[in-house]
Amino acid sequence: MTTTTPNPFRALGLPERPDLTDEQVRAAWRNIAAATHPDRPDGGDLARYTAASAAYAELRTPWARSEAYADLADQADDGPATAPIPVISGEELPPEPPWQLLRALTQVPARICSGRPLRLAIRGLIAAVLALIVLRLIPGTPAAPADVFGLILWFVLTGRKDLAPPPER
Amino acid sequence: MSAWTWLKFVTFLWLLRKAFKLARWLIVAAAAVVAWPVTVVAGTGYAAAWLRGWPPARVYRAAAWALIVTAAWLAALEASDPGFLATREPGRAWGMGWDQFTVAGLARTFALLAPVAVPAGLALAGLIWAWRIYAITTGLGGVRASAPMAFDRRQWRRQIRTAKGLANAPGAVPLLARSGQIPVGGTIRAIGHRWRPVLALPAAACARHMVIVGATGSGKTNLMIRLWAGWFTATLQTARAGRGDRPLLVVLDCKGGRDARRKADRTRRLLYGAGARRVAIWPDEARLCLWDLPPDELTVLLYQMIDSGTGAAAYYADVLQAVIILAVTAPGGPPLSAAAFLDRLNARWLQKAWGDGRHLAEAEHARAAARHLPDIQLRYATLLRRLGPALDGPGTLAEADAWYCILEGTRERSVAEAQAMALTELAAHAATSLDGEPRAILLAADDYSAVSGRVPLSNLYERGRSLGIGVQVSAQSWQGLGATEDERYRIAATADGGVFVLRTPHPEPLTALAGKRRVLETAHRLIGGAWGDEGTTREQRAWTADPDLVRRLDVGQACYIHRGAATFVQVARPKPSPLSLPPPPAPIAPVPEPRSEPAPAPDPWPSPASLDDIFGPEAP
Repeated sequence: MTTTTPNPFRALGLPERPDLTDEQVRAAWRNIAAATHPDRPDGGDLARYTAASAAYAELRTPWARSEAYADLADQADDGPATAPIPVISGEELPPEPPWQLLRALTQVPARICSGRPLRLAIRGLIAAVLALIVLRLIPGTPAAPADVFGLILWFVLTGRKDLAPPPER
Repeated sequence: MSAWTWLKFVTFLWLLRKAFKLARWLIVAAAAVVAWPVTVVAGTGYAAAWLRGWPPARVYRAAAWALIVTAAWLAALEASDPGFLATREPGRAWGMGWDQFTVAGLARTFALLAPVAVPAGLALAGLIWAWRIYAITTGLGGVRASAPMAFDRRQWRRQIRTAKGLANAPGAVPLLARSGQIPVGGTIRAIGHRWRPVLALPAAACARHMVIVGATGSGKTNLMIRLWAGWFTATLQTARAGRGDRPLLVVLDCKGGRDARRKADRTRRLLYGAGARRVAIWPDEARLCLWDLPPDELTVLLYQMIDSGTGAAAYYADVLQAVIILAVTAPGGPPLSAAAFLDRLNARWLQKAWGDGRHLAEAEHARAAARHLPDIQLRYATLLRRLGPALDGPGTLAEADAWYCILEGTRERSVAEAQAMALTELAAHAATSLDGEPRAILLAADDYSAVSGRVPLSNLYERGRSLGIGVQVSAQSWQGLGATEDERYRIAATADGGVFVLRTPHPEPLTALAGKRRVLETAHRLIGGAWGDEGTTREQRAWTADPDLVRRLDVGQACYIHRGAATFVQVARPKPSPLSLPPPPAPIAPVPEPRSEPAPAPDPWPSPASLDDIFGPEAP
C-alpha cells in the first residue's frame, strides 16, 4: 500500500507504532475531525481536516497500520519501501560475481551450526579415521590419494543434507 | 523300455540337472572368492539397498560417482608410471594379496584395489538387486507363495523410513532446489517416473493447474503451503533475474474458522522468510475494493452475486440485470463504494442521471424499472451488508505479494460464495489489467467445494487457463471436486500440473489417471503343498498407483500422479532457511494513549459522538 500522506501517524497526533488499536486511531480522527470540520461555525481547518481524513483512511486497519509503519521505517533507512524490486534486463541470468563463491563459503559455518553439526562431525570423523588407516596401510602408492579423495567425496556428497539450506533457498 | 531302465534314465536326468546347478553355484562361489574385494563391496551395496529400500538406480548412481575416484586413481598411476601401465596394477595388487593372508594384508589389498573394486562392486550390487526385485515381483523367486507380498510390504516400510529420514534432514528438502525446481519431499517409491531421492517439481507445474485431494489430517495443508512457498520463491528469483513477472499469490481458504487464521499466520511467516515483502490477510487485516473493477465486469459480477433464479423468475432476472447496467454504467462513471451503488438503485437518481436528453432509451428503461427498484435495492443492501466492509476498499491485489483470503464457507455459505466470486473476479482483473505491473499469479483454493455452489470449480479452471493464471485446488475427497462425475473428471483429467492424492477413502478415480502398467505373473504348479518346477508366466495389468496403497497412506505421505506415472512421496514440513530469518522483534512496550486535542469548551458544532450522522459509521 503506497503511503499517500507524508506521515499519517503525525497527521492524527498518534505515536508512530504498528500496534495501535482501531479505537485509538478512530478516537484520534474523531477528535481532529470535530475540531477542524469545514462545517463548523468558525470555518474549521480544511487542510488539516483533509490530511486527517486521508491519514485515517490509511491507518484504519491493523494491516494498513503495520504497512504504514514499515513504509516510514524504510523511508528512514534508504528509500521508499514501495519501490519496485530492481529488475535486471536481459534474457540470461546475470553472471555470478566472483565473490559469490566466497560468500557461499563464508556461509558454511552458519549452515553447519543451523544444520545437524553432530551428524556431520560423526561423518567427518569416520572419513578421517578411514583416511588415516589408508595412508598408514598403503603410503606412497597411487591408490592412497585416490582412496582419500573418495572418502572426501563421500563426506561432501552425504554431508550436504545435514547443512541448513542457504538463505535464498 | 523296462520300468527299471526308465527309472535309471529319470534318475540320471535329475542328477544331471542337479550337477549343472551345483556346478553353476560353485563357479559363482569361486568367482566371488577370487574377486573378493568386488564381492565385499557388492555384498555391502546389496545389503544397504535391501535395508534402505533403495531402487537399483540409487546403487547405479553410487557406482557412477565412484568412477570419479577410479579416474583420479588412473590419473595418479599414469603420472607416476606413464605408458598405460596402470592397467596392470590391479592384477599385481590382487596377486600380492594372496601372499598376505592376514587382516592387515587383506585390508591393504582392499585399499589398493578400492578405486576399481568399489565402482565394480556397486554396479554388481545394483544388477543383483534388480534381478532380485524382478524375480520376486514376477514370482520366479522366493520360497513361499506369499513371497512377493511379504517382500513388497517390507520394502515399502523401509522406503518410508528412508524417505522420512531425508525429509527430516535440514538441507535435503529446501523450499527451492538449486536447479530452480520446487522440492516436495523424500521419494518413497517411483512407478513410471524417473527415481530421484527428492521429488521436485518444476515451478511451471505449479503455475498451471494442480489438484490436491486428501482427507482432513492427511497433511494436505503442509503440502499446499510448501508448494505455495516454493512457487513464490522460484518466481521471485526469476523476476529478480529479469526473466519473469513478480509473483502474486492469492489463496482462498474456503472453510474459514480459527484453523484458517492459524494457517494464514503460518503461511505469512513462511512467505516473509521466503522473501515476500507484504502478505495480506483478508478480511481480518486488509481490504480490497470491488468497485475498482471495470464497469462491464462489475455489472456481470453484481448480477451473478444475487441468486436470480430461472423459469418464471427469469423475468425478474432480466429486470435486475437491466437495473444494474443502468446503475453501473450511468454517466459520470461507475459507483466507488457500496453506499454509492445503493444510492443509485433509486428511481429518482437513475432518471436524473440518464435524463440529460442524450440517453432517451436508458431514461425510458429507468422509468420502466422504477417499481422494481425498492426490491432490488433491498436485496443488494442485504447482500452488501452481509459481505461486510472488506470488499469496499481501499486496497487492490497489486499492493501485496500474497493475499490469504479467509472465506467463512462453513458458517455462511452464501456469503462466502459471493465473496469467492468477487475475489476470483479481482484476480482475473489483476491478470488482464494493462494499467499496473504485470504479475505471475497463482490462485490457490483450499477446500473450494465449500463455496463452489454458484461458480463450479471447472469454471474457475477454465477461467484461469484462459487468463494465464495458475490454479491450484484442493478438496477433501473425489466428491468434493465437483457436483457431477463429469465435472470431477474434467477437473482432475485437465490438471496438467499433476494430481496429489493423500490419504482418502475413495482414491480410485484419481489413481485411474495414472493408468495401468504391464506386469508379469507367474503361476507355479503345486506338488504336495510345495512349489514344483513347472508353471506358466503371463502378462497382466496392474495399477500404476495402487489405490489400496493410497488408502493406507500415513500423515504427510502423498502420491503424485502426472503423465501416466506415479511417485509416492513423504512431504517435508516447509521451513525457510534459518539463515534468512530476521531476528525476533524486541518486546513491544505498552502503547501510550493517543494525544487528544484539547477540546474547545464551548463547541456548538456536533460532538464526536454524532459524527456518524454526517459521515456514516464506517466513513473516514
